[in-house]
Amino acid sequence: MKWEDLVSAALVGTDRRAYPGDLLGDAALEVIRRRAGHPTPAPATAPSAVPGSGEEAVSSGEALAPGGAAPPEGTAPPEEREAVPRKAADRLRRVLGGEQPRLLAEWLRLAAGSGRRVPAHVLPDLLDRGDRDRSIREHLGLLAGHRGRWLAARNPAWAYLLDEPTGETWELGSSGDRRAYLKHLRESDPEAARTLVEATWTQETPDDRAAFLELFESGLSIADEPFLEQALDDRRREVRQQAANLLSRLPGSRLARRMAARIEQAVRVGKHEITVTPPTECDRAMERDGIRAKAPAGTGARAWWLQQLVARAPLSVWPGPPAELLAKRIPDWDTELRLGWVRAAIVQRDPEWARAMFEWDPIADLLVALPPWEQQRLAAEFAERHELDNQLIMVLGGVEPPWGAGLAAAVLNKIVKMAAVQPWNLGELSRIAGERIDPALHHLAERASAEQAVQEVAALLRFRAEMREELS
Amino acid sequence: MLALAPDASSQKAAQGLSSPAKWLVRGMSGEVLFGECKGSGAKPYQSCVDLSEPAYRCSCPSRKFPCKHCLGLLLSWSADGVPDLAVPPWAAEWIDQRAARAAKAEARVEAARAAASAEPPEPGGSGAVPSGARAEQASGRPDTRTVRQARVAAGLSELERWLGDQVRHGLAGADPADWQGLAKRLVDAQAPGVASIASRLARVPGQEGWPARLLEEYALLKLLVVAYTRRAELPAPLAQTVLQRVGFPVAREDVLAGQPVRDEWDVIGTRDEEVDRLLTRRVWLRGRASGRAAVVLSFAPPGQPLDASLVAGTTVEADLAFYPGAAPLRALVAVRHRMAEPHTAAPPGLTPDAALDELAAAIAGDPWVDSWPLLLSGVVPGSAQVGGLPLHPRHRDPWRLLAVSGGHPVTMSAEWTPQGLRPLMTWDEGRAVLL
Repeated sequence: MKWEDLVSAALVGTDRRAYPGDLLGDAALEVIRRRAGHPTPAPATAPSAVPGSGEEAVSSGEALAPGGAAPPEGTAPPEEREAVPRKAADRLRRVLGGEQPRLLAEWLRLAAGSGRRVPAHVLPDLLDRGDRDRSIREHLGLLAGHRGRWLAARNPAWAYLLDEPTGETWELGSSGDRRAYLKHLRESDPEAARTLVEATWTQETPDDRAAFLELFESGLSIADEPFLEQALDDRRREVRQQAANLLSRLPGSRLARRMAARIEQAVRVGKHEITVTPPTECDRAMERDGIRAKAPAGTGARAWWLQQLVARAPLSVWPGPPAELLAKRIPDWDTELRLGWVRAAIVQRDPEWARAMFEWDPIADLLVALPPWEQQRLAAEFAERHELDNQLIMVLGGVEPPWGAGLAAAVLNKIVKMAAVQPWNLGELSRIAGERIDPALHHLAERASAEQAVQEVAALLRFRAEMREELS
Repeated sequence: MLALAPDASSQKAAQGLSSPAKWLVRGMSGEVLFGECKGSGAKPYQSCVDLSEPAYRCSCPSRKFPCKHCLGLLLSWSADGVPDLAVPPWAAEWIDQRAARAAKAEARVEAARAAASAEPPEPGGSGAVPSGARAEQASGRPDTRTVRQARVAAGLSELERWLGDQVRHGLAGADPADWQGLAKRLVDAQAPGVASIASRLARVPGQEGWPARLLEEYALLKLLVVAYTRRAELPAPLAQTVLQRVGFPVAREDVLAGQPVRDEWDVIGTRDEEVDRLLTRRVWLRGRASGRAAVVLSFAPPGQPLDASLVAGTTVEADLAFYPGAAPLRALVAVRHRMAEPHTAAPPGLTPDAALDELAAAIAGDPWVDSWPLLLSGVVPGSAQVGGLPLHPRHRDPWRLLAVSGGHPVTMSAEWTPQGLRPLMTWDEGRAVLL
């Protein structure tokens, strides 16, 4: 009697359906026969052919296809990049497992920069993380290698990986590949990059157009002006906005001249006083140049237009150095004018203005206009005189890592001081210090103070130093 | 090294202690690593690791095992090395204690071995079976053993009647309360092995295809009852198996008294489970030369450390003493000959065909086998099968295994169960990976 029949007989009960003989005894024999037998007639020669096991095309009976020279479909191609060393892979697993989780992005960046890949067994955990955290995806395309894409093609949760750059070409690559390619080209040869984009500009999707223009910040020059001026008439708002941003950073551009003319209408700089008369309407020409007509809630329309005009006009329109202008009396629209200058210093990356405006309003964004050493010097001074609050954290966050000894000493000092009075407030400061100070300085941090919080920073730096060494 | 850590927080703490600066003294003598670590108190913690096992001791109050100090010491030894030094008195004391304990255990085994060889096997094929007569000689307490056998026999005959009723009335009417009562009565009947099978029955009705699973369990229970009643007619090893399945314990000394199997054993997986408020660790092994499979069990109450001396992904040269039976699998480590070595390449495994043949032989010997460690090589894993062997329903889509394979053949270890394979480990470019 077949197993299925035994089961149905037992289910109903032998009282209701008579069974000739010992049902349990027969069942025992059948169980043993089934367990000891081979599940399919010839499993070793047909790995995927398990009837009824729910097997899809994932696994590969084709592995034994006749001929056998070309790699069969369904197998991942061999990797071109070498895997990271064992110790580095162990550290990645620790980070993914929850030890120093904020260092994941740094690990990935270093590993991608080293030209290596992640070993296959770590991929599922890493791809799961990328599914939840978009910010780490940019490096995964390279790090996950062919095996990563092979997996991504089989698990819908990981399909995002197929859009990340892999080193493919402009003509054939995914949009991620093309962005990476363009970024690289723009850094080495801005002219060639622009010519490449111009050639296919009208056929690109709006998303791609916006993404490509983002990359024009590097190597921006007046040679880009005609192309950008044209882009002011693009159908996509993000494209128009970015073109206007870029043009306002080029003092010689037509847009900059138009802005300068508008400023002359609105602002008069006298000997001791600056008189401001904001525009009373936002016309089409202004909108085309990137001025947003609709003010955010709580801001007056005229104030809003004024700020934008000042932010987008070339800083060279202002007679005299910034310190001199800031010393003049501004009876009306004082704050709006200054906020405009802050934006202008940031957008136009003007160190002199950034320095002056940081004095007036120490916001982190201004630091991007300054060279790294100066960012660090300003931040160190700020840390010394300013209390530990969100603003300090923001300013420190704006300083480009790695931090040198000067800023490191100032911040560690701050930690020691604060540990004595409000240790509960140290968390973010300690973390940002541990993540941004040059890890080569971990000895300095270890010796700086026996204070527990400082030692924790030192331990984090040591962890990063080891991480770097493993990936070097 | 970090695989030795009991949990992630210990790993992290140990990292912090791996810096040489944290240690006042670090040294090594032979295979003993020792060090004094600055702790929160005035007196430094004294940590000591015997690498041959590995075994650990530390003066810190941590209940984790091995503690962060021992792990930190191991990490710093593997990263930077430590100087050769004479063993300090506190470490020497521990080493002596361990040696004394080992000698005592050895003496017990010798005694048991001598007793076993002094006693000629009984005629009639029931040689190693502790039948009434033999048990009386061995234990010197005739009554307890015979009383127990009578109780078990009564309990099992009740079980047989109960099984008969179930089949007559039909499995559709199965009631979980019945199994709990049944399990309790079997515990009272001093047949704990059968009792635990009965208590597991309660989990079956939730599963896919439960009527078939229930019939399987009933059929095998019935077979066990029949085998127990007729154990005198069975070949000795099978009779041993039946007694152990029913729940008669085998003394450690008796196991160690058997002929040990010396081999290079690959540790191909471990799993910890909590059953009835007892932590159970299973460590699966495969012998390189003997080709034998083994499982080493250790137990601990929750919160207490389990034996950590066998680490997955290493090879250990050791003598294993197997529990007697028709398809011996459970074993004890009698003697370790060298330090365990981590795998640098996948160990040699079996083709699926050879593995199935081995499995068939094991089931033919012990029909109640429900777990068997396999080491398969040259298999291509899929989402629901590996090399033609179906995966356990709860272990479908083994992504880590699929990642390592990429559609190519791999070596992997797995626990065979009647419901399918549960993957244990694979080897990624030579390094062992837990699945």
